[in-house]
Amino acid sequence: MTNNNNYLVDVAELKTWFSIRAGVLRKTVGHVKAVDGVSFRIRPGRTLGLVGESGCGKTTVGRTLLRLISPTAGRFLFDGEDVFAASFKRLKALRRDIQMMFQDPYGSLNPRMNIEEIVSEPLLVHRLDGRAKRREKAAELLDKVGLSAEHLGRYPHEFSGGQRQRIGIARALALEPKLLICDEPVSALDVSIQSQIINLLQDLQKEMGLTYLFIAHDLAVVEHISEDVAVMYLGRIVEFASRDALYADPRHPYTQALLSAIPEPTPVKTKHRIVLGGEVPSPSNPPSGCPFHPRCPLAEQRCREEIQSLDPIDPSSRHLAACWKAKKG
Amino acid sequence: MLMQMSNNTSAKPAKGRSLWADGIRRLRKRRLAMLCFWVTMAYFALAAAVFISERTGWENVLTRWNEDIGPSYQAPLATYEWTPQDAEPMSGWSLFGTDFLGRSTLRKTLYGAKTSIAVALGASIISLLIGIPLGAAAGYFRGWFDDIVIWLLTTLNTIPYILLVMAFAVVLRDKSLLGIPLRGMTGVYLAMGLTSWVGIARLIRGEIMKRKESEYVLAARAMGCSSGRIIFFHLLPNVFHIIIINFSLRFVGFIHAEVILSFLGLGETDKPSWGAMIDAARAELARDVWWEMAAATLAIFVLSLALNLFGDALRDCLDPKLRTD
Repeated sequence: MTNNNNYLVDVAELKTWFSIRAGVLRKTVGHVKAVDGVSFRIRPGRTLGLVGESGCGKTTVGRTLLRLISPTAGRFLFDGEDVFAASFKRLKALRRDIQMMFQDPYGSLNPRMNIEEIVSEPLLVHRLDGRAKRREKAAELLDKVGLSAEHLGRYPHEFSGGQRQRIGIARALALEPKLLICDEPVSALDVSIQSQIINLLQDLQKEMGLTYLFIAHDLAVVEHISEDVAVMYLGRIVEFASRDALYADPRHPYTQALLSAIPEPTPVKTKHRIVLGGEVPSPSNPPSGCPFHPRCPLAEQRCREEIQSLDPIDPSSRHLAACWKAKKG
Repeated sequence: MLMQMSNNTSAKPAKGRSLWADGIRRLRKRRLAMLCFWVTMAYFALAAAVFISERTGWENVLTRWNEDIGPSYQAPLATYEWTPQDAEPMSGWSLFGTDFLGRSTLRKTLYGAKTSIAVALGASIISLLIGIPLGAAAGYFRGWFDDIVIWLLTTLNTIPYILLVMAFAVVLRDKSLLGIPLRGMTGVYLAMGLTSWVGIARLIRGEIMKRKESEYVLAARAMGCSSGRIIFFHLLPNVFHIIIINFSLRFVGFIHAEVILSFLGLGETDKPSWGAMIDAARAELARDVWWEMAAATLAIFVLSLALNLFGDALRDCLDPKLRTD
């Protein structure tokens, strides 16, 4: 590989397969290929948006990077260090630099702990500070995410969804990580609250120099925060481009369909909406050839037989797409 | 309406209210549950009083259950004695009847509370000590350890419960464990504890499996918590209310099991117990001596009912999913 130093995150050919076991002896009879060969890189201080329908494996990507799920194959270099090869002890240290925030504001906070315990637990686990100092830091963190120190003694059930996501951010930031994996952080929130949380994440990024892997199922949300966007379908990235290029000129038919589904705020403007037929195929039994062909309006014989790799749409471009028809010229 | 509003605003303390405090507050609003709680507590106090006076050698009415205080088979509330020679009106402890040796039924029943509660407590503690760690570890780690635990659970579960307890009780009787002789009730609660962890282990295993994939556990793993910390600080506190509820309902089962074992002659033989009283009364029923049976049954009935109602109320109040306000 070439010089990786420019990238904080360098993921190559990541695969996460879950075995399907059956019978008395629990023999493996097949695999659910939740993530099947995903590669991307993120520069420090930047944001990559990872978009796809539910079930496409984007959450699994995030969890695999933190080794909450063991990877089947692939490599993840974090700041030049191979995370998947790290020892148990080293992994704990790495987790100080890679943190995660979760989708469900109701499920991601332990209901039996108060806010002080939740926010300061990472400091306790890594034995960073004494009790008084932890409390002080927890108060600072709450302040940073727009809550106040008087909330320290409260319990999660006393907060609204948006407030809980803020607490989740405070917890993730306690260890001052470099990379924050945001697993659909706003999809469970009201639209008005969504923008508040996204603005908060952007402010924090500027302030602390954070790098984000921002996972979402909604292109409109990702447009706001990301420099680069990767679109996933059935365990693979089908299109990768800078935000501007992707939104202005989507090349993959799946991306085009997703973009056409974003509601337009102006009622006068009508646009052609591409409605995809059928359902996402099962990752345990993916279609032959291009995984998108059963639903693709442009599919032809070649798509059923061969799979197109993720290639630049023209030789000099950073815009990649996994489709025969995406190539320019 | 106004009252309610002012209540709502004043009920917002600066300090948060944990789910526990919340549940207990709701429990205290239920009159019936609180009545049942105090009835149960009265039984426990009685048992504790007997236990303490026995240990400290403090002689009182409760420990002198063996005293001959009247003629044999004195019926309860009888105002005179059967025997014509001394026709004195009855009073005091013999007012509620006597057994064939002239011992007070009431005192024996009161003493029986200690036997029953000691056995149920002992059995509960043993079954919780075995069941919680095994169930939690099996549910969290899965794999071969889970397979072994499940195999044990299934095996123990296929044997009819009473038969199994009896087998344990017979084997353990008059043996000694770590130098402590297993006399009387010790063998009984050991037997019950060693056989009844199955239910609690299965319950805990299921609850841990269910919560293991929740996002707060993932978050804990992501921040680098050890497995032990996740089990003890994240998972067990979230299933603890289930343990308590289960414990309160299981307790009744242990009391019944003790009665059955004593009835079958496997339990306490030289101290009064409700089971032994029912066993003794069985032969006397034909002679119209019903009070010993009635006293023991009533004691069991009141305690079981109180525990059951309290256990149900506990479940309603402590389960965060059933939160209504």
